[in-house]
This record gives sequence, structure tokens and C-alpha cells, in this order.
Amino acid sequence: MTTLLTPRTESDERIEPVSVKKPRRTGRWILFGAMIVVAVVMLYPFWVMIITSLQSENQFLSGGGFSWLSWSSLTSVIPIGQEVLSSTIVCSASIFIILCVGLPAGFAFSKLRFRASTGVFLIMVSAMMVPLQAILMPEFVNVTKLGLTGGYFGAILVYAALGTPFSVFLFTTYFRGVPDELIEAGIVDGLGYFGVTWRLILPIAVPAIATVTVLQFVQIWDDLLVGLLFISNTSERPITVGLAVLAAGRTTSIPELMAGSIISALPAMLVYLGFQRYLVKGLTMGIDR
Amino acid sequence: MSTVPTTTIVSSTSAPTFAPKTRRMTLKRRRQLAGVVFALPAIALVVAFIGIPIGQAVYYSFTQWNGATSTWIGTSTWTQAFHNTNLWTALRNNGLLLLSVPFALALPLGIAVLLHQRVAGWRIFRSIYFMPTAISWVVLGLVAERFFAYQGTLNSIIHALGFSHFSTNMLGYQSEALIALGITFVFTMIGTNTMLFLTGLATLDPSLEEAARIDGAGRWRIFRSITLPHLSRFIQLAFVMTVIALFSALFSLIFVMTGGGPGYATTTMEFLIYETGFNQGDFGTAALYGLILFVITGIVGVVQLRLIGSNE
Amino acid sequence: MAEITFDGVTKIFGDDIRAVDELSLHVADGEFMVLVGPSGCGKTTALRMLAGLEDITSGSLSIGGSVVNNVLPKDRDVAMVFQNYALYPHMTVAQNMGFALKIRGQSKSEIARKVGEAAAILRLTDYLDRRPKALSGGQRQRVAMGRAIVRSPQAFLMDEPLSNLDAQLRVEMRLEIARIQRLLGVATVYVTHDQIEAMTMGDRVAVMRGGKLQQCDTPQDLYDHPENEFVAGFMGSPPMNLLRVELDTNDVGLALLLGSQRLDVPSSYLSSHDLPKVDGPGVVFGVRPEDVEVLEGSSPGSITTRVERREALGAEILVHLSLVDATGERAVVVDDVGAVVARPTRLVAKMGPRAGVSVGDHLQVRLNSDHFHFFDAETGRSLRQGH
Repeated sequence: MTTLLTPRTESDERIEPVSVKKPRRTGRWILFGAMIVVAVVMLYPFWVMIITSLQSENQFLSGGGFSWLSWSSLTSVIPIGQEVLSSTIVCSASIFIILCVGLPAGFAFSKLRFRASTGVFLIMVSAMMVPLQAILMPEFVNVTKLGLTGGYFGAILVYAALGTPFSVFLFTTYFRGVPDELIEAGIVDGLGYFGVTWRLILPIAVPAIATVTVLQFVQIWDDLLVGLLFISNTSERPITVGLAVLAAGRTTSIPELMAGSIISALPAMLVYLGFQRYLVKGLTMGIDR
Repeated sequence: MSTVPTTTIVSSTSAPTFAPKTRRMTLKRRRQLAGVVFALPAIALVVAFIGIPIGQAVYYSFTQWNGATSTWIGTSTWTQAFHNTNLWTALRNNGLLLLSVPFALALPLGIAVLLHQRVAGWRIFRSIYFMPTAISWVVLGLVAERFFAYQGTLNSIIHALGFSHFSTNMLGYQSEALIALGITFVFTMIGTNTMLFLTGLATLDPSLEEAARIDGAGRWRIFRSITLPHLSRFIQLAFVMTVIALFSALFSLIFVMTGGGPGYATTTMEFLIYETGFNQGDFGTAALYGLILFVITGIVGVVQLRLIGSNE
Repeated sequence: MAEITFDGVTKIFGDDIRAVDELSLHVADGEFMVLVGPSGCGKTTALRMLAGLEDITSGSLSIGGSVVNNVLPKDRDVAMVFQNYALYPHMTVAQNMGFALKIRGQSKSEIARKVGEAAAILRLTDYLDRRPKALSGGQRQRVAMGRAIVRSPQAFLMDEPLSNLDAQLRVEMRLEIARIQRLLGVATVYVTHDQIEAMTMGDRVAVMRGGKLQQCDTPQDLYDHPENEFVAGFMGSPPMNLLRVELDTNDVGLALLLGSQRLDVPSSYLSSHDLPKVDGPGVVFGVRPEDVEVLEGSSPGSITTRVERREALGAEILVHLSLVDATGERAVVVDDVGAVVARPTRLVAKMGPRAGVSVGDHLQVRLNSDHFHFFDAETGRSLRQGH
């Protein structure tokens, strides 16, 4: 029994089209097969990482075996707990600044228009496209002169500055969808603009906040260059740098490297999986207003 | 209700005294003031850490600079730089790698269309496809390095399949190494771009497709005339994001896979900046390279804005 | 007390858009004043200036005797009900209603008491813990009103609060709002484009058009004595019949030329109105549909018409009539050469629900001469003396 339009399954999300034609049987199997193939390819790195990490160095070099050795010796090769902690600190602090700075600015550009705000907004958005390397040298020198290299602080500020244009763009687009009447109701009820932001805007900005957090988290967590250059104290090194340094070393055990990589990848993956819903919403926000 | 409630809210209050503000602090003024104050921290941060360094990069590109002292040497930095073969190699490499961008767009598009068919379990597949995005480029580079190395997985497969005389030393030769980098780059972009296109497909109004089908359009026709135009904005965004990644995030891959080598064979602009500045200590030239990079991405951005702007 | 006075208030947007032009209006304490007019007439802008959401370009605005031009909304002690309700989505109904009080630092028990009272008046007590998205349109509208009521303000400002409701709900809520306003006795300025709301709810109604106030009077006065052609045609549904006609003399005085038919103008109008000369541009003559009586047979002074269209409304039948001339053909009333006549050349009459009329029938109608209206053909102003 073939029907042209199959009824919606309960698990359809809200943004999905109502009647999507499902392909015929054979077509469906082919598609399924294709998706499996793609999945295999995409999962390959994980596979490699897991398999390799479950070998000792000797087993790896000789091509076989299974052991937990690399995992247990991991902590003696790099201070992984500490580096994860460093990454967490840097990520959290940077994101905190990005949100604190980006949300009010997004509200300002969308609802609190002042003279020249359109121009300033355009410049802010175009700053999104400045690659770090273009400003790397002066940035490095400036931060050094301010005495902020070595520890977290310089890197945090750089990350925050790099992530701000995007977050401002996202918040601005999001807040454009808030009806003016809502803000006016708050004004007539007696709030000032700070009160409006704190009591009315903030509570309804949660999806945007989540989107910014997820995207920035992954970007900062996985970043190498800033951590490499701006955090020179080895004790405060983030995990990405730790792994890269390990990889560049002579006496590195690949399995250990892979074990460390898995640990590094976990937080980002968890954050992604947890916030997937918001991500889809967030990406569409910037496109169709 | 038995009686009309004489309650607090019914009784009239005495007229409050209004204190007219001596200055003209109307609502509009207040709003504008709030706007400026709220936007200021963001503006300050961006100006301080992005705006000013750009200006400095311009300045320092004219100097001999080692990070501590700078001596103005005018345009000789520029002339020197443009005679430096490494610069041209790097630019060429960036250019060659640009060739991977169409793949980085087409593959995710195909995968997104695949997912969009909503065959059973597609949501799980979507999560799977997106997971590599969470992995740091450094780590992906490590895995890729293992794959493409002389003693790596690719060669093992080739051996196993019996094509041993095709075995490669991909990372040892320039052109192969670039291809290896390109492939890895495309892989890393699949996750985000697929997600982007999938979202775009989800926002497509199904009644458009249905109307076309009633009009007699076939699958491919529908895709070309309805789906693609709708996705154009998403494709543009993906294009910009991919190119930016090509000019910045690629750094991590190169750092881990080839170190820029052999020699400077796989160095790109973003890696060259790092190398010149921190390995050679020539900050002035590095600043100049940074400027060139900025100009390139700026051009791409402006071209994009023109295209997007003309659509709105 | 809480009276509101607009004195020559003008609002100019940009360089030259006069949204409100020299508005002078007085709202007494406890009065229900309706601002009505077509879109773009400036009524909403006037309301927003009253709330403090728009600056005033010139003129002065007073609330309770004090000039408030430069006073911030929160210091004006006015409460506003928005067209789309503007409820705070992350708060419950109770929190929405109590919000303004909370900001002013009132105690929790005070707030709870006032919210409870307002909820009782609006029959919202069962919904106090719900979020706006779990409410129907009518319920949300009541919450918006409740938010305004709890504040015991000097004035209520309402911006087309009923326009998003379906027809039946609208009728219900009209009565509700009027009832509550009378109960609370607070000065209210109510903006709408619906003249039925204006007629039924307002103590007085201010008709606006193109930023200018056309007339401000009680509903009945607006209906019976419109000061210009616009007000005459705007208030009342179906609208007043407005015909551009020429005048002619007869033995006793003046007559109107309706095509080839004549309608005598009773002499009382000659003294009470400034009717133009016979060879002049003519005059705009108005008569309401209910004053067009369909006769059984002919009668002196009756007009012959032909039924062009009929609309059966259930409680009555509206017939659209054209004027017939001597040959029985449809007549056209005076046209300006080259100018488009915007006035209808047909009469609309009301008939009982069971009247048997069909398109094409010829009917004799008599126009009730007690309720003729005359307007200047050029300016549209009423020609009644004393205007």
C-alpha cells in the first residue's frame, strides 16, 4: 500500500513542513544507505581517536593490541586536569563578557536607535570578518605592553573582543523581532530603559543567549592561536594548546595524544548536543528577519 | 456581586504634582542616551582590540619592528615583502585552497538535501554529522595527519587493496600535501554548512514545491528553480563563513599536519604571519602580511555584501 | 482633577509630515472620550503624545491642570492598553497586572489585594497563574485592561483595544469596557477607527481626519448635526446619502434638481441655512437612509427611483436606488466637467425585513424633510447658520 502523502509522525518539530513527500520504498533504502555511508565517514575521526587511545605506545607502533595504558599515563604526560580547567576558565570568562557587552548593545542597535547607530552597527558587523591573523602582531604587542600576556586575562579580552561583533549581530537581529509595544508598555508602567532591559528584555532573550553561548563556546574552546600566543604560562595553558604542543613534540605517544583529544572534544560535544534546538533557531534568525 | 465594590482602585487619588524637568529630558532623549550607553562597552571593546590593531598594522608595516622597538623604514618593508617568494607561495596556496570551497559547499548541500528527505532516523544522523564540528581543528588535524602520513591509514588501505605502487607520501610532497589539507578542510566544514543548509531547507515553504509539482516540474527542475534560489542567502552566508575559515582557522590544521612544510610549500597567509612574526621575529613584515590578509578578506566581504544587498 | 487638555498640539514627523495639526481638545474628569477617524488621521499619534511616547512639536498638553509636555510617561500617572496587548510573555497574569505596582515598591500584600480586585471585576480570577500564551485573545485583552486598572491612574489610554477580536467578542467587550469605565470613573481617551464603537461607548466623540479635529460632540449631536461632509459621511452605518445637486427656484423658494426630478426645499431651511445662489456651484445635499421612506404608491413630492441592488441584512433590507428621469431611464446627477464626482449618485434606503423588492423595481420614495443636511459644495462645511 503506497500513499503519496504520508501523515505526519508525532515527532515532527514545529518548523518542519507539513507535508513532505516521503520517497518510495526502494528510494528510501538507497537514501538510508547513503546516510549511513556519510555517517561512517563523519564518525571516522572518533573511531580513530578511540581505537588509537586504547593502545599502548608499543602496541600502536607494532600495529595491534588493546590496553588502557595510554589513558592512565596521560596525566603524567600533560597536566590534563589543569588544562581542562584553564580552558573552562577562559571560555566562561570570555563568554560572560561577550554576553554582558553584546546583549545591551544588541538591544541598543535594534530598539534604542540614536543618530549614527546604523553606521556604527555596520562597522561592528564588518568587524566580524577581520581574521585574527590580520591583527595578530599589533594585538600581541599591545597586550604584552599592558602586561596581560602570560595569564588568562589577555586571552580572555582578545576572545571577548573577537566574539563581540557576532554576538552583537545576533542579539540585534533577535531583538528586532520584539514588538515595540512591549517596551512601551514597560515605559508607561514606569520603567526606565535599564529596567526594561533587565526585567523585560533579558528574560525573553534566553534563546539568543543560548545560541551565542554555544557557538562561542566551541569556537573559544577549540581555538589554538590565541591560547598559544597569549597565555605563555604553562600552568595556565588551555587544553588545545597542550595537545598541540604535545603533538609537536618528539617523544609523543600517539595513543596518549588521542586520549587527550577525546577529553578535549567531550565538553564541546556535550554543549552542542545539549543546545541543538537553540542552534537551529539561532542560525535562522540571522537570515530571514 | 451584591454591591458595587468600593475598593482602593476605584477611589480617585489626589492629583499628583508634576515636576516639569528643567532640562528637556524627553523620552526620546532618554532613549537615545540609553542607546549610546548600552552600545558603548561593545564599541569600546571592539575598537580597542580590533580597530586600533588594524591601524597599528598599517603603521608598523612601514617599519622594522621586533615587537619592542620599531624603526621607520618606509616602503622598503613593502618592497622586500613583495620580493619574498614565501609571500607569493603563501598567496598561491591560499588561492589553491580556495578551490576546495566549492566542495565545502556542494557536499554539505547534498547531505542537507539527503537529510531533508526525512527518512527514518534522520535526526540521529543530523547529530552525527554535526559532531565533528565540536572537535577542535587541532585534533582533526592530528587525525588527518595520521591518515595521510607515510605510515598512515591511507597507505594501509591502499596496500590492503593491492595498489601498493600508488602509495603516497602525501604530506611529504607539496601538491599532495595541499590536497590533503584541502580534503581535511572540507571535512571540517561539512558539519556547520550542512546544519546551515538544513535550516534553510526547513524554512522553505512546501506549498511552493507542491505548486511546482502540480505544474508538472520534475525533481531536478524543482531543485534548480525553487530550492536553490531560496537557499541563495544561506549559500552566501556559508560561502563567507567558509572563506573566513579558510583564511584563519586553517592555521590549526597546518600547524599540526605539515608545519607549513615541506619548507614553505604548504604555508598559507595566516600561517606565514605566525611564522614570520614569532619564529623569525620580524613583526613589521608580519604586520604587513596581516594587512594583506585583511584586505583580501575585506574584498571578499564587500563583494558578498553587494550580492546580499542587491537581493534585499 | 484628572482632566486632559490639548491646546494647539501639533506633531510633525521628519520635515513635513503633520501627523497632528493644532489639536485642541478638552476631556473632563471621568469622561469617556473617543478619538475616531480613518487610518492616518492622527488619532493614535495624539494618544501616544498623551502617554508621553511621542514628543510634542508645538502646543501644550496638560493633565490634571499641569503642563506635561516634557514629563516622562512614568511620571504622568496614565495607564495604557495597547492594540496588541503587549503583555509580558515571561510573567503570569498576576505578575503582569501587578508589575507597575511592584516597580513602585508597593508591598506584596497590597499588590495581591489590588490585583485580586481587578481580577474580580474582569473575571480573570481563575487565570491569575497562567502565562499569556495560554490565554485566548479575549482573555489577553482583559489582562491588558487589568494591568491598567490596578494602577488607579489619572487617565486610561486605549489604542484600538478591540480591533484584534472577532466580531462577537468585540460586542461583548464594548459593553464590558464601558461598564468598567463607568464603575471606576476615570477619564478615558479611547482610539478607534470603528464608528460604531465610537457611537456606543463615548460620552463625547472627537472625529479626526488628516491630523485635524473635525468635530467634537456627543454621539447623538455628531449624528444629527454634523459640521462637515466628512463627519456626516463617517458617522452612521450605512452612511448618509450625499448628493451633489444644483438649485433652482420655484414658486415658494428653492428646489433641488435630482436629475430631471425636483425636490422642494422647505422654507424653514432658507432661514436656518446659508444656501448658495441658484446659478452657483450647487450644494451637497445629505439625507440619512432611515430618512428615505419607501412609499406604497405615489405621493406629492415623492421621487421616482429604481432598485439597483438590494442587501438583505436579516433585520432590515438595504436598497440601493438610482434616480429615474422622465423617460424612466437612470439619471445622473450633476457632474463637473472633467472632474470626477466622488459623491454617490444613488440613494440608499432602509426597508423592513420582509419587504418584497427586486432589482429593477421602480419605487417611490419620500425624503423626510425634517432631516435634510446641506454642505458647501467646495469646502464641505455645513451650511447651517452659526457654523
